[in-house]
Amino acid sequence: MRNVRIWFKKDYECRYISHLDLNRTMLRALHKSKLPIWHTEGFNPHPFATFPLPLSLGFRGINECMDVKLEDDSFDIRTIPDRLNSCLPRGIRVFDATEVIMKAGKVAYASFTIRVSADRLSSSVVTAQLRDLLGRESIEIEKKSKKGMKTVDIKQGIRSYELKEMLDFAQLDIILSAGSSDNINPQLIISALQRENGVEYDVDITRNDLLNSELELFR
Amino acid sequence: MVSKKVEKLLLKVQKPGRYVGGELNEVIKDKRNVDVRFAFCFPDTYEVGMSHLGMKILYSRFNLVDYIWCERVFAPWIDMEKLMRENQIPLYALESGDPVSDFDFIGFTLQYELSYTNMLNMLRLSNVPIYSRDRTELKNIVVAGGPCACNPEPIADFVDIFFIGEGEEVDLEVMEVFRECKAEGVGKAEFLERCAKIEGVYVPALYEVSYNDDGTIAAFTPKGDAPAVIHKRLMKNMDESYYPDNFVVPLVEIVHDRAVQEIFRGCIRGCRFCQAGFIYRPVREKSPEVINEQCKKLCMNTGYDEVSLSSLSSSDYSQIVPLLEKLTSWCGEEKVSISLPSLRVDGFTDEIMNKIKTVRKSGLTFAPEAGSQRMRDVINKNVRHEELMQTCATAFAGGWTTVKLYFMIGLPTETMDDVADIAHLGQDVVETYYQTPNRAKGKSVRVTISVSSFVPKPFTPFQWEPQDTIPTLHEKQAHIKESITSERVTYNKKLTYNYHDADTSFLEAVFARGDRKLSKVMALACERDFHFDGWNDCFSLQKWLDIFEECGIDPAFYANRRRSFDEILPWDHIDYGVSKQFLIKECQKAYNSTTTPHCRLKCSGCGAAQYGEGVCFEKRQNMV
Repeated sequence: MRNVRIWFKKDYECRYISHLDLNRTMLRALHKSKLPIWHTEGFNPHPFATFPLPLSLGFRGINECMDVKLEDDSFDIRTIPDRLNSCLPRGIRVFDATEVIMKAGKVAYASFTIRVSADRLSSSVVTAQLRDLLGRESIEIEKKSKKGMKTVDIKQGIRSYELKEMLDFAQLDIILSAGSSDNINPQLIISALQRENGVEYDVDITRNDLLNSELELFR
Repeated sequence: MVSKKVEKLLLKVQKPGRYVGGELNEVIKDKRNVDVRFAFCFPDTYEVGMSHLGMKILYSRFNLVDYIWCERVFAPWIDMEKLMRENQIPLYALESGDPVSDFDFIGFTLQYELSYTNMLNMLRLSNVPIYSRDRTELKNIVVAGGPCACNPEPIADFVDIFFIGEGEEVDLEVMEVFRECKAEGVGKAEFLERCAKIEGVYVPALYEVSYNDDGTIAAFTPKGDAPAVIHKRLMKNMDESYYPDNFVVPLVEIVHDRAVQEIFRGCIRGCRFCQAGFIYRPVREKSPEVINEQCKKLCMNTGYDEVSLSSLSSSDYSQIVPLLEKLTSWCGEEKVSISLPSLRVDGFTDEIMNKIKTVRKSGLTFAPEAGSQRMRDVINKNVRHEELMQTCATAFAGGWTTVKLYFMIGLPTETMDDVADIAHLGQDVVETYYQTPNRAKGKSVRVTISVSSFVPKPFTPFQWEPQDTIPTLHEKQAHIKESITSERVTYNKKLTYNYHDADTSFLEAVFARGDRKLSKVMALACERDFHFDGWNDCFSLQKWLDIFEECGIDPAFYANRRRSFDEILPWDHIDYGVSKQFLIKECQKAYNSTTTPHCRLKCSGCGAAQYGEGVCFEKRQNMV
């Protein structure tokens, strides 16, 4: 048995499907591809795949990954992208399959590019609003948790950011805490911005990379 | 493919994945290279429409033709519809993202009467006039097919062409005529007249209806050359009939998210309430070899790990065991499971059970339809109490612990005692569980009885019957509940009872047997933004009653009136191959609680033998 990490992009139409739907789509593609993937045992055997860090509905992902186990240790993993791509919708494109270097639990940060605009505001105004928000000591927001609503300070989860004023949007490149313990969804920043300014923003969020606690690329 | 304008809305609605297309196996063509663009509209949500087999067959069949590009359109859910209206975004097709108003054909499949308002609403969202007479050019031709097309009259003023019967051939013939007319520069009126000559095509504009003082139909008269009777189309040889080897595989979870393999059309049984049992006659089977091959291809091409064998009554497939043997020979290896819905109570044998047991043990569902033996004889269900108990015992011994039973109330000649027997039957099943020695150890049984209200439908022996009024149905619903609590109390928690809303059944009954006078009701409903009447979120009987009153139409005239055998029925000009004489005979037999044997036991002379194919020409076992 050999662990393999499959790398893919999730964009276009497939941006709009949830993690559960992505999972289903991937399992069907793995099944169709007839790759020698290990299947779960039991009543309904299905290909076994896990995702180190699920991606929210609506986000683009350009360096996403999924872990599977290969039953055939000598299988040439370089053939995986082509085999899978012919079984996937066009919005999901596999571009690499690699050995698993870091355990899934090592994900500590994720980097995002967020484009923000609003119908009636110029990009310089939106940029200024973002700069104001992100410059504060703390950014508190109500977050739903299992034990009801709780207040979290998302400022603590911002590792670094860069803000650029573009022609018709503000661009925020940001690194946020990610993983099972202190995950910050970038959507929370937009919610805070909306609450501050009472404006409905149009946002386009791309997740670029997953990183470990040393800010090294997750591999 | 979605436009930038639509993209802006997608993150503001539930399940945006249903509005984007881009699925595996969707068909993309260059619109400059096709002559006919067909918008295949399903008047319900994506999840419901994408589960529909007929749409999958026709989508693939149409797109096989080089000059046709068929695309899919679904009704946007209310949140998306609201945003589309607010942002002036017209309804669009998923493949190209082009507005529906760009299409040559706008085709609807009509699976249930309560989707009529969605059909009109979808036209309105497309900025296409709802009335046929207001669409004067040779474009946006509105066509419709499906089971509800068997009584097209309530929506006859809106639809240009109805396809009667099975669509695989007739739809293409109409598109060919369209292509010719377009090339010749011929107008819509001439196009419709040419189409009316094709068998299976009904052009309502070519007929005139006159009424008696009491509101019944006096005469139905064709204009010009239009045929007096429209005969249905059907596929004679199912093995040679087109079947897709590929489905569009949805990105989001749909209602039936699996491969579907059709095994036969029609039903041998002839349950007297069941429209499908009559309009799809005669039974035509595919051979096990063909089914096996088609199944394999479908699973390979879609990646689905589950395939469902589809028909009106799977256990009536004459070679069910050999078929299951063929399928299980490769399904295990390929990790594909088989599901067998629509099992009859008397068709669930050990042999079948052992073959499908490799599949997940979800609940079993049976439809005894009525509680008492007398009632089941009236409806010709031909299921005996002992058989049901035996079947349940077989299932319980096989490890099943959940059984769902479907029933109907409001059937002709029904008494309160018949209704109470529904509750008793449910309790008998619970008792059978505890009497089954080798049942699952330490587990409790769950029996659900689900009760809907009978809706008399065209082309059935009960097409003349009145529907019970809503208060009567409510009384019967309550009586079942009382009958459960009054006796054998210990089994209460093991037995769940639920029932369908009688209000929607009433409206369904009005539309199912309505006539052209209802079109003004429909138009007004459309104007008032009615949609998704089949969904509890949206349906309001009171709002409908208000419209009926404004239009001066009494809905009870259609739903609750007993019609005489000699009345001209709104659908009498349509022929589904089953004679009216036969239906009358069946109705009279029902009154005497006399059953009719199924097609394989004895031919009942319904008329379907005229097609020269199918079960009518099978060798009967008792004749050998």
